[in-house]
Amino acid sequence: MAFLDLDGLRCHVQRLAPQDGRPPAATVVLLHGLLTDSLASYYFTLAPALAAAGLDVLMYDHRGHGRSGRPPTGYRLEHFVDDLEAVLDRLEVTGPVQLVGNSFGGTVAFSLAARRPEQVAGILAIESEPASRAWAVKLDGILRQAERHLVEEETLAWVAEQRGSHTARLARSAGALLAGTSLARDIPASLLPAEAELRSIRCPVLAVYGTESDLACQAAWLDGLLADCRSTFVPGQEHSVLIEAPEVVRELTLSWLREHGADLRDGVLRDGAVRDGVLTGRGSGR
Amino acid sequence: MTISEQTVDLQPPTEQEVLTEITAMLATVLEEYGLDDAEAAAEVTMESRFTEDLELESIDLVTLAGQLRERWGDRINFAEFIAGMELDEIIGLTVGRLVRHVVDRLQTAGRS
Repeated sequence: MAFLDLDGLRCHVQRLAPQDGRPPAATVVLLHGLLTDSLASYYFTLAPALAAAGLDVLMYDHRGHGRSGRPPTGYRLEHFVDDLEAVLDRLEVTGPVQLVGNSFGGTVAFSLAARRPEQVAGILAIESEPASRAWAVKLDGILRQAERHLVEEETLAWVAEQRGSHTARLARSAGALLAGTSLARDIPASLLPAEAELRSIRCPVLAVYGTESDLACQAAWLDGLLADCRSTFVPGQEHSVLIEAPEVVRELTLSWLREHGADLRDGVLRDGAVRDGVLTGRGSGR
Repeated sequence: MTISEQTVDLQPPTEQEVLTEITAMLATVLEEYGLDDAEAAAEVTMESRFTEDLELESIDLVTLAGQLRERWGDRINFAEFIAGMELDEIIGLTVGRLVRHVVDRLQTAGRS
Protein backbone atom coordinates (compact mmCIF):
# COMPACT_ATOMS: atom_id res chain seq x y z
CA MET A 1 0.00 0.00 0.00
CA ALA A 2 1.29 3.43 -0.83
CA PHE A 3 -1.49 5.94 -0.23
CA LEU A 4 -4.15 6.45 2.43
CA ASP A 5 -7.04 8.89 2.09
CA LEU A 6 -7.29 10.74 5.42
CA ASP A 7 -10.55 12.65 5.07
CA GLY A 8 -9.52 13.93 1.67
CA LEU A 9 -5.82 14.29 2.44
CA ARG A 10 -3.62 11.98 0.38
CA CYS A 11 -1.11 10.40 2.74
CA HIS A 12 1.92 8.59 1.32
CA VAL A 13 2.70 5.59 3.51
CA GLN A 14 5.51 3.05 3.30
CA ARG A 15 5.59 -0.05 5.47
CA LEU A 16 8.48 -2.51 5.63
CA ALA A 17 7.75 -5.87 7.22
CA PRO A 18 10.25 -8.35 8.65
CA GLN A 19 11.63 -10.38 5.76
CA ASP A 20 11.73 -13.69 7.59
CA GLY A 21 7.94 -13.98 7.61
CA ARG A 22 7.77 -14.22 11.40
CA PRO A 23 5.53 -11.90 13.42
CA PRO A 24 7.14 -8.51 14.06
CA ALA A 25 8.93 -7.90 17.36
CA ALA A 26 7.26 -4.48 17.64
CA THR A 27 5.83 -1.72 15.49
CA VAL A 28 8.00 1.35 14.98
CA VAL A 29 6.63 4.53 13.43
CA LEU A 30 9.22 6.87 11.89
CA LEU A 31 8.30 10.57 11.84
CA HIS A 32 10.27 12.98 9.66
CA GLY A 33 10.99 16.70 10.08
CA LEU A 34 9.72 19.88 8.44
CA LEU A 35 10.43 21.50 5.07
CA THR A 36 13.29 19.63 3.36
CA ASP A 37 12.48 16.30 4.99
CA SER A 38 10.37 13.34 3.87
CA LEU A 39 10.05 9.65 4.66
CA ALA A 40 13.00 9.12 2.30
CA SER A 41 15.26 10.22 5.18
CA TYR A 42 14.32 6.97 6.89
CA TYR A 43 13.64 4.77 3.87
CA PHE A 44 17.29 4.87 2.85
CA THR A 45 18.83 4.92 6.35
CA LEU A 46 17.12 3.39 9.39
CA ALA A 47 14.17 1.56 7.88
CA PRO A 48 15.86 -1.38 6.09
CA ALA A 49 17.96 -2.26 9.15
CA LEU A 50 14.92 -2.09 11.46
CA ALA A 51 12.90 -4.37 9.17
CA ALA A 52 15.86 -6.77 8.96
CA ALA A 53 15.89 -6.85 12.77
CA GLY A 54 12.30 -8.11 12.76
CA LEU A 55 10.36 -4.89 13.24
CA ASP A 56 7.19 -3.72 11.55
CA VAL A 57 8.38 -0.36 10.18
CA LEU A 58 5.79 2.27 9.35
CA MET A 59 6.64 5.64 7.83
CA TYR A 60 4.62 8.32 6.06
CA ASP A 61 5.07 11.75 4.54
CA HIS A 62 3.65 14.57 6.65
CA ARG A 63 1.00 16.74 4.98
CA GLY A 64 2.60 19.11 2.48
CA HIS A 65 5.75 16.98 2.29
CA GLY A 66 7.11 14.26 0.03
CA ARG A 67 4.34 12.55 -1.92
CA SER A 68 1.53 13.38 0.46
CA GLY A 69 -1.10 15.96 -0.41
CA ARG A 70 -0.44 19.68 0.04
CA PRO A 71 -3.58 21.48 1.23
CA PRO A 72 -3.23 25.29 1.23
CA THR A 73 -3.99 25.55 4.96
CA GLY A 74 -4.09 23.37 8.07
CA TYR A 75 -0.48 23.11 9.25
CA ARG A 76 -0.72 23.61 13.00
CA LEU A 77 0.99 20.95 15.11
CA GLU A 78 -2.36 19.45 16.11
CA HIS A 79 -3.14 18.73 12.43
CA PHE A 80 0.06 16.70 12.14
CA VAL A 81 -0.83 14.81 15.35
CA ASP A 82 -4.33 14.17 13.98
CA ASP A 83 -2.69 12.67 10.88
CA LEU A 84 -0.52 10.34 12.97
CA GLU A 85 -3.56 9.18 14.93
CA ALA A 86 -5.51 8.68 11.72
CA VAL A 87 -2.70 6.64 10.12
CA LEU A 88 -2.54 4.35 13.17
CA ASP A 89 -6.33 3.98 13.25
CA ARG A 90 -6.65 3.35 9.51
CA LEU A 91 -3.91 0.74 9.54
CA GLU A 92 -5.46 -0.81 12.68
CA VAL A 93 -2.23 -0.55 14.63
CA THR A 94 -3.72 -1.27 18.04
CA GLY A 95 -0.88 -1.98 20.44
CA PRO A 96 1.34 0.76 21.81
CA VAL A 97 3.97 1.68 19.23
CA GLN A 98 7.54 2.88 19.40
CA LEU A 99 7.90 6.34 17.88
CA VAL A 100 11.10 7.64 16.31
CA GLY A 101 10.94 11.34 15.54
CA ASN A 102 13.51 13.48 13.76
CA SER A 103 13.31 17.15 14.75
CA PHE A 104 9.66 18.23 14.22
CA GLY A 105 8.76 14.53 13.94
CA GLY A 106 9.76 14.16 17.59
CA THR A 107 7.58 17.14 18.48
CA VAL A 108 4.65 15.29 16.89
CA ALA A 109 5.61 12.17 18.87
CA PHE A 110 5.61 14.02 22.22
CA SER A 111 2.22 15.51 21.42
CA LEU A 112 0.73 12.09 20.64
CA ALA A 113 2.16 10.70 23.90
CA ALA A 114 0.47 13.55 25.80
CA ARG A 115 -2.80 13.10 23.92
CA ARG A 116 -3.00 9.28 23.77
CA PRO A 117 -0.53 7.80 26.29
CA GLU A 118 -1.90 4.28 25.78
CA GLN A 119 -0.78 4.40 22.13
CA VAL A 120 2.89 5.15 22.79
CA ALA A 121 5.33 2.58 24.18
CA GLY A 122 8.38 4.79 23.87
CA ILE A 123 9.93 7.71 22.03
CA LEU A 124 13.33 8.10 20.45
CA ALA A 125 13.64 11.81 19.76
CA ILE A 126 16.44 12.85 17.43
CA GLU A 127 17.38 16.53 17.73
CA SER A 128 13.91 17.33 18.92
CA GLU A 129 11.83 18.87 21.67
CA PRO A 130 8.19 18.99 22.74
CA ALA A 131 6.18 22.02 21.66
CA SER A 132 6.36 24.97 24.04
CA ARG A 133 6.10 28.76 23.90
CA ALA A 134 9.87 28.98 23.31
CA TRP A 135 9.62 26.37 20.53
CA ALA A 136 6.84 28.33 18.80
CA VAL A 137 8.87 31.56 18.93
CA LYS A 138 11.97 29.84 17.56
CA LEU A 139 10.08 28.10 14.73
CA ASP A 140 8.41 31.40 13.84
CA GLY A 141 11.85 32.95 13.28
CA ILE A 142 13.19 29.97 11.32
CA LEU A 143 10.11 29.71 9.11
CA ARG A 144 10.01 33.45 8.36
CA GLN A 145 13.66 33.32 7.29
CA ALA A 146 13.09 30.21 5.17
CA GLU A 147 9.97 31.64 3.56
CA ARG A 148 11.84 34.78 2.53
CA HIS A 149 15.08 33.21 1.33
CA LEU A 150 14.26 29.79 -0.14
CA VAL A 151 12.60 31.38 -3.15
CA GLU A 152 15.65 33.52 -3.97
CA GLU A 153 17.80 32.22 -6.80
CA GLU A 154 20.98 33.53 -5.15
CA THR A 155 20.18 31.64 -1.94
CA LEU A 156 19.48 28.44 -3.86
CA ALA A 157 22.72 28.87 -5.81
CA TRP A 158 24.58 29.30 -2.52
CA VAL A 159 22.96 26.14 -1.12
CA ALA A 160 23.96 24.26 -4.27
CA GLU A 161 27.54 25.42 -3.89
CA GLN A 162 27.76 24.67 -0.16
CA ARG A 163 25.66 21.52 0.06
CA GLY A 164 25.31 20.13 -3.44
CA SER A 165 22.60 20.12 -6.08
CA HIS A 166 20.38 17.57 -4.34
CA THR A 167 20.08 19.66 -1.18
CA ALA A 168 19.44 22.72 -3.35
CA ARG A 169 16.59 20.87 -5.04
CA LEU A 170 15.12 20.00 -1.63
CA ALA A 171 15.50 23.64 -0.57
CA ARG A 172 13.63 24.76 -3.70
CA SER A 173 10.81 22.31 -2.86
CA ALA A 174 10.71 23.67 0.69
CA GLY A 175 10.44 27.20 -0.71
CA ALA A 176 7.48 26.08 -2.84
CA LEU A 177 5.82 24.49 0.22
CA LEU A 178 6.17 27.73 2.19
CA ALA A 179 5.02 29.89 -0.73
CA GLY A 180 2.00 27.72 -1.49
CA THR A 181 0.67 27.07 2.01
CA SER A 182 0.04 28.71 5.38
CA LEU A 183 2.63 26.46 7.08
CA ALA A 184 4.93 29.31 8.16
CA ARG A 185 2.03 31.09 9.91
CA ASP A 186 0.35 27.93 11.21
CA ILE A 187 3.22 26.23 13.06
CA PRO A 188 3.81 29.15 15.47
CA ALA A 189 0.03 29.34 16.06
CA SER A 190 -0.18 25.67 17.13
CA LEU A 191 -2.06 24.62 20.23
CA LEU A 192 0.73 24.17 22.75
CA PRO A 193 0.59 21.41 25.36
CA ALA A 194 0.58 22.70 28.93
CA GLU A 195 3.68 21.83 30.94
CA ALA A 196 1.54 19.57 33.14
CA GLU A 197 0.57 17.60 30.03
CA LEU A 198 4.22 17.09 29.13
CA ARG A 199 5.04 16.09 32.70
CA SER A 200 2.32 13.45 32.43
CA ILE A 201 4.23 11.62 29.66
CA ARG A 202 5.33 8.42 31.42
CA CYS A 203 6.77 6.37 28.55
CA PRO A 204 10.54 5.97 28.26
CA VAL A 205 12.23 8.60 26.10
CA LEU A 206 15.71 8.60 24.60
CA ALA A 207 16.75 12.05 23.42
CA VAL A 208 19.58 12.09 20.87
CA TYR A 209 21.52 15.29 20.23
CA GLY A 210 24.53 16.35 18.21
CA THR A 211 27.14 17.83 20.54
CA GLU A 212 27.45 20.85 18.23
CA SER A 213 23.70 21.46 18.00
CA ASP A 214 22.00 24.43 19.64
CA LEU A 215 19.41 22.00 21.04
CA ALA A 216 21.98 20.05 23.09
CA CYS A 217 21.88 22.60 25.92
CA GLN A 218 18.19 21.77 26.47
CA ALA A 219 18.94 18.16 27.38
CA ALA A 220 18.96 18.73 31.15
CA TRP A 221 15.68 20.65 30.96
CA LEU A 222 13.97 17.83 29.05
CA ASP A 223 15.41 15.14 31.34
CA GLY A 224 13.96 17.02 34.29
CA LEU A 225 10.60 17.66 32.67
CA LEU A 226 9.80 14.11 31.60
CA ALA A 227 9.28 11.21 33.98
CA ASP A 228 11.61 8.76 32.20
CA CYS A 229 14.02 10.53 29.86
CA ARG A 230 17.67 9.97 29.13
CA SER A 231 19.93 11.90 26.78
CA THR A 232 22.73 10.79 24.52
CA PHE A 233 25.09 12.93 22.46
CA VAL A 234 26.66 12.20 19.08
CA PRO A 235 30.11 13.79 18.91
CA GLY A 236 30.82 16.37 16.24
CA GLN A 237 27.27 16.47 14.89
CA GLU A 238 24.95 19.43 14.49
CA HIS A 239 21.19 19.26 13.84
CA SER A 240 21.27 16.71 10.99
CA VAL A 241 22.36 13.71 13.07
CA LEU A 242 20.04 11.25 11.27
CA ILE A 243 21.36 12.25 7.86
CA GLU A 244 25.02 12.73 8.75
CA ALA A 245 25.45 9.78 11.12
CA PRO A 246 22.82 7.20 10.12
CA GLU A 247 24.90 4.27 11.36
CA VAL A 248 25.10 5.74 14.86
CA VAL A 249 21.35 6.39 14.90
CA ARG A 250 20.69 2.81 13.69
CA GLU A 251 22.72 1.31 16.52
CA LEU A 252 21.18 3.64 19.11
CA THR A 253 17.68 2.75 17.92
CA LEU A 254 18.26 -1.01 17.88
CA SER A 255 19.83 -1.06 21.34
CA TRP A 256 17.09 1.24 22.68
CA LEU A 257 14.38 -1.11 21.40
CA ARG A 258 16.21 -4.16 22.77
CA GLU A 259 16.50 -2.47 26.15
CA HIS A 260 12.73 -1.98 26.13
CA GLY A 261 11.87 -5.57 25.46
CA ALA A 262 11.77 -5.92 21.67
CA ASP A 263 12.95 -9.40 20.74
CA LEU A 264 15.09 -8.40 17.77
CA ARG A 265 16.70 -10.77 15.29
CA ASP A 266 20.30 -10.50 14.19
CA GLY A 267 19.12 -9.17 10.86
CA VAL A 268 21.71 -8.80 8.15
CA LEU A 269 20.93 -6.71 5.12
CA ARG A 270 21.21 -8.73 1.95
CA ASP A 271 23.43 -6.21 0.26
CA GLY A 272 26.24 -6.62 2.73
CA ALA A 273 27.64 -4.43 5.42
CA VAL A 274 25.76 -1.31 6.27
CA ARG A 275 27.87 1.80 6.13
CA ASP A 276 27.01 5.43 6.51
CA GLY A 277 25.08 6.35 3.45
CA VAL A 278 22.24 8.69 2.78
CA LEU A 279 20.49 10.53 0.07
CA THR A 280 18.55 13.19 1.81
CA GLY A 281 18.82 16.85 2.48
CA ARG A 282 21.28 18.12 4.98
CA GLY A 283 20.76 21.24 6.92
CA SER A 284 17.46 22.86 7.77
CA GLY A 285 14.72 20.26 8.43
CA ARG A 286 13.39 21.27 11.83
CA MET B 1 0.85 5.63 -12.05
CA THR B 2 0.92 2.36 -13.93
CA ILE B 3 1.06 -0.91 -12.13
CA SER B 4 2.63 -3.67 -14.11
CA GLU B 5 1.86 -7.20 -13.12
CA GLN B 6 4.65 -9.30 -11.85
CA THR B 7 5.44 -11.81 -14.53
CA VAL B 8 7.33 -15.03 -14.38
CA ASP B 9 10.36 -14.48 -16.56
CA LEU B 10 11.54 -17.57 -18.38
CA GLN B 11 14.87 -15.94 -19.16
CA PRO B 12 16.57 -13.28 -17.02
CA PRO B 13 16.29 -9.98 -18.91
CA THR B 14 19.27 -8.36 -20.62
CA GLU B 15 20.76 -5.01 -19.56
CA GLN B 16 19.04 -3.35 -22.51
CA GLU B 17 15.63 -4.75 -21.53
CA VAL B 18 16.04 -3.65 -17.92
CA LEU B 19 17.21 -0.19 -19.03
CA THR B 20 14.10 0.16 -21.18
CA GLU B 21 11.84 -0.77 -18.27
CA ILE B 22 13.59 1.50 -15.77
CA THR B 23 13.46 4.37 -18.28
CA ALA B 24 9.68 3.93 -18.47
CA MET B 25 9.49 3.92 -14.65
CA LEU B 26 11.53 7.12 -14.47
CA ALA B 27 9.19 8.78 -16.96
CA THR B 28 6.28 7.99 -14.63
CA VAL B 29 8.15 9.37 -11.61
CA LEU B 30 9.09 12.56 -13.47
CA GLU B 31 5.60 13.11 -14.88
CA GLU B 32 4.68 14.63 -11.51
CA TYR B 33 6.96 17.56 -12.33
CA GLY B 34 5.46 18.32 -15.73
CA LEU B 35 6.33 17.84 -19.36
CA ASP B 36 9.91 19.13 -19.45
CA ASP B 37 11.21 16.61 -16.97
CA ALA B 38 9.21 13.82 -18.56
CA GLU B 39 10.90 14.64 -21.87
CA ALA B 40 14.29 14.61 -20.18
CA ALA B 41 13.56 11.04 -19.09
CA ALA B 42 13.42 10.03 -22.74
CA GLU B 43 17.18 10.59 -22.80
CA VAL B 44 18.02 8.24 -19.95
CA THR B 45 21.24 6.32 -20.58
CA MET B 46 23.34 3.91 -18.55
CA GLU B 47 25.56 6.86 -17.62
CA SER B 48 22.74 9.13 -16.37
CA ARG B 49 23.07 10.00 -12.70
CA PHE B 50 19.83 10.02 -10.70
CA THR B 51 20.49 13.22 -8.77
CA GLU B 52 22.82 15.27 -10.98
CA ASP B 53 21.42 14.49 -14.43
CA LEU B 54 17.83 13.39 -13.85
CA GLU B 55 17.37 15.74 -10.87
CA LEU B 56 15.52 13.19 -8.80
CA GLU B 57 14.85 13.94 -5.14
CA SER B 58 15.26 11.23 -2.55
CA ILE B 59 11.47 10.85 -2.30
CA ASP B 60 11.38 10.13 -6.07
CA LEU B 61 13.74 7.24 -5.46
CA VAL B 62 11.25 5.85 -2.93
CA THR B 63 8.64 5.89 -5.69
CA LEU B 64 11.09 4.20 -8.05
CA ALA B 65 11.79 1.58 -5.38
CA GLY B 66 8.06 0.83 -5.25
CA GLN B 67 7.91 0.41 -9.01
CA LEU B 68 10.92 -1.91 -9.01
CA ARG B 69 9.22 -4.03 -6.37
CA GLU B 70 5.92 -4.09 -8.29
CA ARG B 71 7.75 -5.29 -11.37
CA TRP B 72 10.20 -7.79 -9.93
CA GLY B 73 8.94 -8.47 -6.40
CA ASP B 74 11.12 -8.99 -3.35
CA ARG B 75 14.09 -9.92 -5.52
CA ILE B 76 14.82 -6.21 -5.94
CA ASN B 77 15.15 -4.33 -2.66
CA PHE B 78 16.27 -0.84 -3.65
CA ALA B 79 16.22 0.50 -0.07
CA GLU B 80 18.76 -2.11 0.98
CA PHE B 81 20.82 -1.51 -2.16
CA ILE B 82 21.04 2.20 -1.26
CA ALA B 83 21.44 1.68 2.50
CA GLY B 84 24.74 -0.11 1.89
CA MET B 85 26.32 2.85 0.07
CA GLU B 86 28.54 5.75 1.02
CA LEU B 87 27.15 9.24 0.53
CA ASP B 88 29.42 9.94 -2.45
CA GLU B 89 28.34 6.71 -4.09
CA ILE B 90 24.68 7.66 -3.80
CA ILE B 91 25.23 11.17 -5.16
CA GLY B 92 27.01 9.66 -8.17
CA LEU B 93 24.69 6.66 -8.56
CA THR B 94 24.04 5.97 -12.24
CA VAL B 95 21.11 4.29 -13.93
CA GLY B 96 23.61 1.74 -15.27
CA ARG B 97 24.64 0.68 -11.77
CA LEU B 98 21.00 0.02 -10.86
CA VAL B 99 20.42 -1.78 -14.17
CA ARG B 100 23.39 -4.10 -13.54
CA HIS B 101 22.22 -4.68 -9.97
CA VAL B 102 18.77 -5.70 -11.22
CA VAL B 103 20.22 -7.98 -13.91
CA ASP B 104 22.56 -9.63 -11.40
CA ARG B 105 19.76 -10.17 -8.89
CA LEU B 106 17.40 -11.66 -11.46
CA GLN B 107 20.12 -14.00 -12.75
CA THR B 108 20.94 -15.11 -9.19
CA ALA B 109 17.26 -15.60 -8.42
CA GLY B 110 16.86 -17.59 -11.66
CA ARG B 111 19.59 -20.01 -10.64
CA SER B 112 18.39 -20.59 -7.08
